[in-house]
Amino acid sequence: MKYPQILLVVLLSSIVISCFQNTDFDQANDVVITPVVELDLIYFDIDASQFYDVGTDTPNLVVRDTTAIEFIEGNDIRDALVRADFLFKFSNTIPSNFSVNFDFLNTNNEVRYASFTQVNAGSSSLPVETIYIDNVENEEIENLTSSNKVVITVTIPSSSASLFGTLNLQSKATYYLEID
Amino acid sequence: MKKILFILAICYSIIAVSQNKQVLYNWDVSPQSLLLNPGVVVDQKHHYGIPFLSGFHINGGTSGVTVFDIFSDDGRDINVKIAEALTNIDSNDFFTATQQLELINFGWRSKSDYYFSGGIYQEFDFISYLPKDFLDLAREGNRDYIGRAYNFDHISLRADLLTVYHFGFNKKITDKLTLGLRFKAYSSMISASSTGNTGTFTTTQSDGTPNIYEHTVEGVNVEVKTSGYTSLKDVDGSSQVVSDVLGRAFFGGNLGLGFDFGATYEINNQLSATASILDVGTIFHSSDTEIYKASGNYTLDGLEILFPTIENGEATFPYYSDLEDEIEREIPVDTLNNAYSQMRPAKINAGLHYDFGRSLGRNSGDCDCRNMGGKSQRVSQVGVQYYDVFRPKGIQAAGTVYYRRQIGNWLSTKATYTVDSYSPSNIGLGMALSIGTLNFHLAADNLLDLTNIAKANSLSLQFGFNIIVEEL
Repeated sequence: MKYPQILLVVLLSSIVISCFQNTDFDQANDVVITPVVELDLIYFDIDASQFYDVGTDTPNLVVRDTTAIEFIEGNDIRDALVRADFLFKFSNTIPSNFSVNFDFLNTNNEVRYASFTQVNAGSSSLPVETIYIDNVENEEIENLTSSNKVVITVTIPSSSASLFGTLNLQSKATYYLEID
Repeated sequence: MKKILFILAICYSIIAVSQNKQVLYNWDVSPQSLLLNPGVVVDQKHHYGIPFLSGFHINGGTSGVTVFDIFSDDGRDINVKIAEALTNIDSNDFFTATQQLELINFGWRSKSDYYFSGGIYQEFDFISYLPKDFLDLAREGNRDYIGRAYNFDHISLRADLLTVYHFGFNKKITDKLTLGLRFKAYSSMISASSTGNTGTFTTTQSDGTPNIYEHTVEGVNVEVKTSGYTSLKDVDGSSQVVSDVLGRAFFGGNLGLGFDFGATYEINNQLSATASILDVGTIFHSSDTEIYKASGNYTLDGLEILFPTIENGEATFPYYSDLEDEIEREIPVDTLNNAYSQMRPAKINAGLHYDFGRSLGRNSGDCDCRNMGGKSQRVSQVGVQYYDVFRPKGIQAAGTVYYRRQIGNWLSTKATYTVDSYSPSNIGLGMALSIGTLNFHLAADNLLDLTNIAKANSLSLQFGFNIIVEEL
């Protein structure tokens, strides 16, 4: 009885003890993954008629809307997000330039992060493209990730009933993540 | 959490493999050979396993990557090593882990010359294929892979903890043919699986779409089936969980039925052929089940902003919650409590065995009355063996050549060389000691890697103590 028991102990201990040579499991602490994720953001088509109120026959120079973007708020994303690049691609057939503001607000409707761009005037025969890229990094990440909604404000310098065309926006965000 | 999961996955890969027991197959030193082939030639009068010690088996493996590939202390960045490992694997690579503990094992020869045997063993069986596409997506993101379809069929795993009650009989039908049949009742303690998933996730960029990209989930049908898990969610404390799970070991869980069948044909005095099929059976998961199911198609374009005319502090459209609702509507995630059944992973063994060298007569010149016309036992045996197991994505097969030798009356040894899904050079060794009626067996494989287990793609270990009473 003793002999096999000894053999068993020897074989088992050799398996348990002598097995992991030249390995360093502390390296698990260094594991970090760095995915770069691209996702669509917002898109819209604003018709030129929205900049003029035919009922009251007055220009309507500011068009504004808000959407929640809850996925960008929170500690998890704040810890992981190293940098975010927003790409806004405008295509304009309205013969007027625009200024566009993206204001990121927190729950108390305080502006935490703001971005602004000018959009070139277009023409009905040839849509004019304006590309605006906003890189968010460092301490601005903290501001961005404490926001949960974005207010989009489109301002036209002047307007009339005869204005035609469409202002189109397509956008995406590139999220540089570092998860350890 | 990510690290814990990662280390767990690696640990599984160390301790675990499939259920190939190439060293013990057709080796009559252990009652285990009756579990691997109910139709093996049985010489003994009766046997008893030492309770809880009669048979222990642990087997683990990983194809494609070893622990050493990731954790070698070579000064290189572990993230680089992980990246290299992932380029070398595909979605058919896997981790497996199996563990069996025999609680009771017994057998006896009846007056009508049947050999009856039965027992109870506990089994844990786990396999997970590497979800290559989603590992890539999690590690690298989609930016550099616009247009790549990430396949949900890469997610395939199964884990079972069960108790098996078995009873079988074995009979030498003719001088040459021995047949055996074993019935099994399964009591599943806990089971989880996600197999047969379909669908893809793709990010595409093309003209004429509403936004820059389209993120498309197409034909997704993903299902996770659990049994024995839901009732544990409300249980307090790990000791209570353990006691609840163990309580199901004795027919308290979901039950199933199955059988093993095997045969030996003694072709001539020295040559014999064996074959068996094991665990042809099904478990019927009817109580304490929970099935999570997601299916549908959806294309995400982002949030469309409509700039409605708003009067006096009215709210605008709830774009974001509408989008969430739309996704939930198009790809609903249902939780069901339906009954379901699940096949056990069936295994096939086969072998061709050639005896040579000095005869091992009980007393030289005596008549071997149980073996008239059959093959005689000799001091050495060589042979080839085949093994396969049915896994969620198909068969995993192994081929073995071996040499077996009896040394005196008390020691039998067997050396195997196996080619399988894990590695092309697996050397195994077994020894069985007989001290009077007490029999002890110990078998391990992948001995080439035993000095540094981290380099092994697979390992298995079996041992047990039994009392075997030979025919007088």
